Amino acid sequence: MNLIGFFTLLYRECHRFLRLPNQTLIPPVITATLYILIFGYSLGSRISDIEGVSYLTFLIPGLVMMSVISSAYGNTSSSVYIARFQGNIAELLVSSMSNFEIVLAIILGGVARGISVGICVAATTMIFGDVTIVHFGITAFFVIAVAFIFSAAGFITALWAEDFDRLSVFQNYILTPLTYLGGVFFSVEMLPQVWQKIAMVNPMLYCINGLRFGYIGVSDVALGTATGLVLGLSVVMFAWCYLLFRSGYKIKT
Amino acid sequence: MKHYGDITAVDNIELEVGEGEFFGLLGPNGAGKTTTINILAGLCNKSAGEVSLFGNDLIKDYRACRLHTGLVPQDFNFDQFAKVRDVLVFQGGYFGLPIRESMRRADQLLGEFGLDDKADTQMRHLSGGMKRRGIILRALMHRPKLLILDEPTAGVDVELRKTLWAFLRRLNSSGITILLTTHYLEEAEALCDRLAIINHGKIVADDSTRNLVNTLSHDSLIITSANRISEEAVKLLAEFQPEMSPDHEEMTLIFDRRSTDFDAMLQTIREAGIRVSNIRAPDNRLERVFLELTGGGGNA
Repeated sequence: MNLIGFFTLLYRECHRFLRLPNQTLIPPVITATLYILIFGYSLGSRISDIEGVSYLTFLIPGLVMMSVISSAYGNTSSSVYIARFQGNIAELLVSSMSNFEIVLAIILGGVARGISVGICVAATTMIFGDVTIVHFGITAFFVIAVAFIFSAAGFITALWAEDFDRLSVFQNYILTPLTYLGGVFFSVEMLPQVWQKIAMVNPMLYCINGLRFGYIGVSDVALGTATGLVLGLSVVMFAWCYLLFRSGYKIKT
Repeated sequence: MKHYGDITAVDNIELEVGEGEFFGLLGPNGAGKTTTINILAGLCNKSAGEVSLFGNDLIKDYRACRLHTGLVPQDFNFDQFAKVRDVLVFQGGYFGLPIRESMRRADQLLGEFGLDDKADTQMRHLSGGMKRRGIILRALMHRPKLLILDEPTAGVDVELRKTLWAFLRRLNSSGITILLTTHYLEEAEALCDRLAIINHGKIVADDSTRNLVNTLSHDSLIITSANRISEEAVKLLAEFQPEMSPDHEEMTLIFDRRSTDFDAMLQTIREAGIRVSNIRAPDNRLERVFLELTGGGGNA
């Protein structure tokens, strides 16, 4: 295994987002703060406790997960697409790194950004709510695994997209609606029966509630189901990325 | 072999480049040159066939093959926002060089190529010539045994072209095998020990540069006259298809090298009243070989 190559690429992916904090780290913190001010303080005061916790406390894990998902996705989708666009993805293709090493390093770069943003948002939300993490291990697992899934999703979209318009298709039409409908702002028990059933097929619901269980100890879904789904999706998404990259899909002639 | 749907871009070519050679691959646009070198470098999946680099199979022993190969593509495929030194250091890292060694080599190459004062400049701010040098340095970071260059002097000025030629000769004499595609036949003739000409995905010639030039059945001479060449002289030399320069001081004569009686030819020139002050061969002999073999059309 070319470990130096792997860590060089991982470092480059991290260096890429760390040198641009105004684009990568600070905006999610501002967005989460605005959500807390609007939904947590302003509207949340009119919403009764959910499963024994205040609405503000209920909201915070969802906001952290939303930031993690969009950051992890955004990192790989922009990095891989721009590398395709500029042609410098060839630097990796001609190198002595294996396809496995390249794909894993790029996806872990997205995971690193997801974790970094998650930590920044979580730290900021502590100013507003008295929230302490109940199960640190479960929280860490869901942050890392979900970041991995959506970092891989960004990778696939970046390989597929032919232009910037298509690059935004997945985020605008799938990722954002599913995230907002995945229980960031509400418990599924607050929905009518029909919508509750529809919500249960949204994978975001399991991602967000898995983290919520680790964070504040409450969840709309069984922890085992959420863990199994997240692990399964991680494997499937990585395999998909690897097979696409190995085949040279839209990167080799 | 490489197919794109029904189109065969590279058609059963057999090519062997000797270690230490300076090898040129010529062909018209779309002949399959870039596809061939992209297969070697790992940027193109071949449809069929076998490729071996320094005894290593291109697919099974891909790490060894890539460690031995450096690619200089035609396009400036950098991260345009990255600094020059970073591009080189990261490239070294991808090939497994520890960071300190990678930085040492990057600084050494930047110094040798006169880019040391641009080390901390973003790639997008470099001139075309500097980018060209940068892209060659990137390919040299892991000290490959084979350097593949895809039209490295396309679009560079004469001065830089000569500098690059000298540098490539130096690399070749240090033992690096060089495989070059070029748009300039003059460049191939000046640099390459051996040439292959590719057309419609097939190799139509593969020989030493000298032999290829010598395969010309027809050759030409340019005669400079001390006096004005008359129209009567043109008529007398009609069998040599004379072409007169506008100032009537130079004339190009075409002859069959196998059947021409050169003594008689010189006698006819004298009888035509031409006082020869100089005789030279045209510069573009290889171009004529190329045009003969590829059917006359297209650019190299």
